[in-house]
Amino acid sequence: MLEIKDLKTNFNTYDGVVKALDGVNLSIKDGEIFGLVGETGSGKSVTAYSVLKLLPKTAEIVAGKIILNGEDITDATEDRLRQIRGGEIGIIFQDPLSALNPVMTVNEQVGEILVLHQDAEINKLAYEKEIPVYKSEKWKSSPGVEFTIMAICISFISLFTMIGQFTFGLPFLFVIGIMFLRDYLQKEVPESALDLMVIEALSRVKLPNPKQIASSYPHELSGGMQQRVMIAMALAGKAKMLIADEPTTALDVTIQAQILQLIKDIQKEENMSVLLITHDLGVVAETCEKVAVMYKGKIVEEASVDQIFTNPQHEYTKALLNAIPKGGKERLKVPEIGEAGAI
Amino acid sequence: MSNKAVISIKDLKKHFPVKNVWGTDIALVKALDGVDLKIESGKTFGIVGESGCGKTTLMRTLLRLVEPTSGSVVLSEELTRGQFSCNNLEDLTSDELRRFRRQIGVVFQDPMGALNPRMLIKDIVSEPLVIHGKTDNTRERVIELLKNVGLGEEHRYRYPHEFSGGQRQRIVIARALALEPKILVLDEPTSALDVSVQAQILNLLNDLQRKYDLTYIFISHDLSVIEYMCDRLAVMYLGKVVEEADTEELFSNPQHPYTKALLSATPNFEKDKEKIMILGDVPSPITYLDESEVKLATEMTDQERLEIKAIEGKGIDYIVRSSLNEVFPLKKIANEHYARVK
Repeated sequence: MLEIKDLKTNFNTYDGVVKALDGVNLSIKDGEIFGLVGETGSGKSVTAYSVLKLLPKTAEIVAGKIILNGEDITDATEDRLRQIRGGEIGIIFQDPLSALNPVMTVNEQVGEILVLHQDAEINKLAYEKEIPVYKSEKWKSSPGVEFTIMAICISFISLFTMIGQFTFGLPFLFVIGIMFLRDYLQKEVPESALDLMVIEALSRVKLPNPKQIASSYPHELSGGMQQRVMIAMALAGKAKMLIADEPTTALDVTIQAQILQLIKDIQKEENMSVLLITHDLGVVAETCEKVAVMYKGKIVEEASVDQIFTNPQHEYTKALLNAIPKGGKERLKVPEIGEAGAI
Repeated sequence: MSNKAVISIKDLKKHFPVKNVWGTDIALVKALDGVDLKIESGKTFGIVGESGCGKTTLMRTLLRLVEPTSGSVVLSEELTRGQFSCNNLEDLTSDELRRFRRQIGVVFQDPMGALNPRMLIKDIVSEPLVIHGKTDNTRERVIELLKNVGLGEEHRYRYPHEFSGGQRQRIVIARALALEPKILVLDEPTSALDVSVQAQILNLLNDLQRKYDLTYIFISHDLSVIEYMCDRLAVMYLGKVVEEADTEELFSNPQHPYTKALLSATPNFEKDKEKIMILGDVPSPITYLDESEVKLATEMTDQERLEIKAIEGKGIDYIVRSSLNEVFPLKKIANEHYARVK
């Protein structure tokens, strides 16, 4: 599915060059959950962002190759990248509230992805069911125009009332009446194909009451529901690969268990590949099949999950496993590595 | 429970009113709803629960940063030292309250947010000393405090942004210890840190506890950390303590369905373990003053109480909340093990 060969990404700062990735090799097979573990600053997120070219301007990929389904996307054009992001690789970020747009409803945000990547499907659905494609016909003109007409009518009515000639205002009153009547009569207009697709996308991530959630804003939802919406967005473009960057760090444990279960279920249903980036070894143990441990921009160990927890080879992996409190009260062994920050 | 309780909390309640547009109360948020706890001296008391269960409100009421609606917090002789007019937190005068607050240090979750970015480390650590008028030999005291937490003299003239996350947390701990408190409240002290740094901080906290005979109130949602640190544990859910026991007892023999779900939800290294899932989110702690739905609570079975099948407005929230409150009181399971079960 995805292959990364000897990837090197540098950050150019005033203090010098930071080698965030220093020769990363990864290969993720079809239908596999791959865990990428490491501490802050080890380069796990940079790996994911390098694949999708979501890096800041100071960063540059100096060497290496990224191969997606046999296609070299290292020097892909912006148009091709736009197809890949969301269309072939979906991504979930750590903090759902800051990843979602606070002034757009869930409907608009999920719809945006669908319009970009699933346009043909939407048109097909609209044709089959004989319903409007994008918007319901309720607002033929934009809300702004309706508002302006309403404001002009009201000002004329008040003007005529002030000069004592109320009867001159009656035609304007009539116009307002017609606008309200039109609204009332069009209440039962069928939903658009896009709306139906959005609701379907939301019910795929097992959100209760998707219709209500589609019309709400991100801040009205709880953390777990926001993360579900993020997953719905990542899956909406029918991506075959999902990159989950610390998807549960901001959530409570019971909600974390729900979200991980959801990712596992969807992976099984759709036979997707998942790249799960996390710092929590427990999450990896429960979810992944294969795991790579990153340290200072390099992958220090790669093995199956069973192997890495029973028989870790690299010193750093051993130190990391020892640092987790496990039951007993004996003193924790602190790995002598210092905190990351390699310039 | 042992007699050496340093703080006893009795039936503590804190209700926040929810007002409508006209300013009349329409609902109550029961942030704390009858909490009984005894915190033993020299031990670590853990409080576990999810966001919104009242952990932080409990901490703030202990410091009397918010006034409780009802209930009392009784301080032991160890804290009052006979200097206060009474041993009830509610009745302390403002001067006594200031002296009382010296005895409780607080460490917050996000060290960067807790440190003023424009102050030098020496000023940050000595600020409590200045506020409480203990300015005799501030310089020596700051050096001593920094050494206690594993930092050096040379760190005094630096700003918080020059430190890593773990070092910042050490500075926060040094500041909390500046007034020689008896109790340290640790509000998720390691959740913003990596595991290796977390291990360092937990070791440091254990060393400090032994050295100064401190009492810790440890708030966290990470059960592996809680299991490592705490002697006794209370599980909170919607402003209530649903289970309280010694750590080993609670981890080996959980009774309340929520505790069971919480323990099973924690990721661990047993891969094919069966999980108890809670469906949906924790219900809202808002109680509507309109009591028309009360009856339903008693008509539900145990399983239904835990399974919040869908969030369909206030009805189900209310049912779950009241089923936890009114139906079951705390029951003794074993020696010093209490749970709200049938």
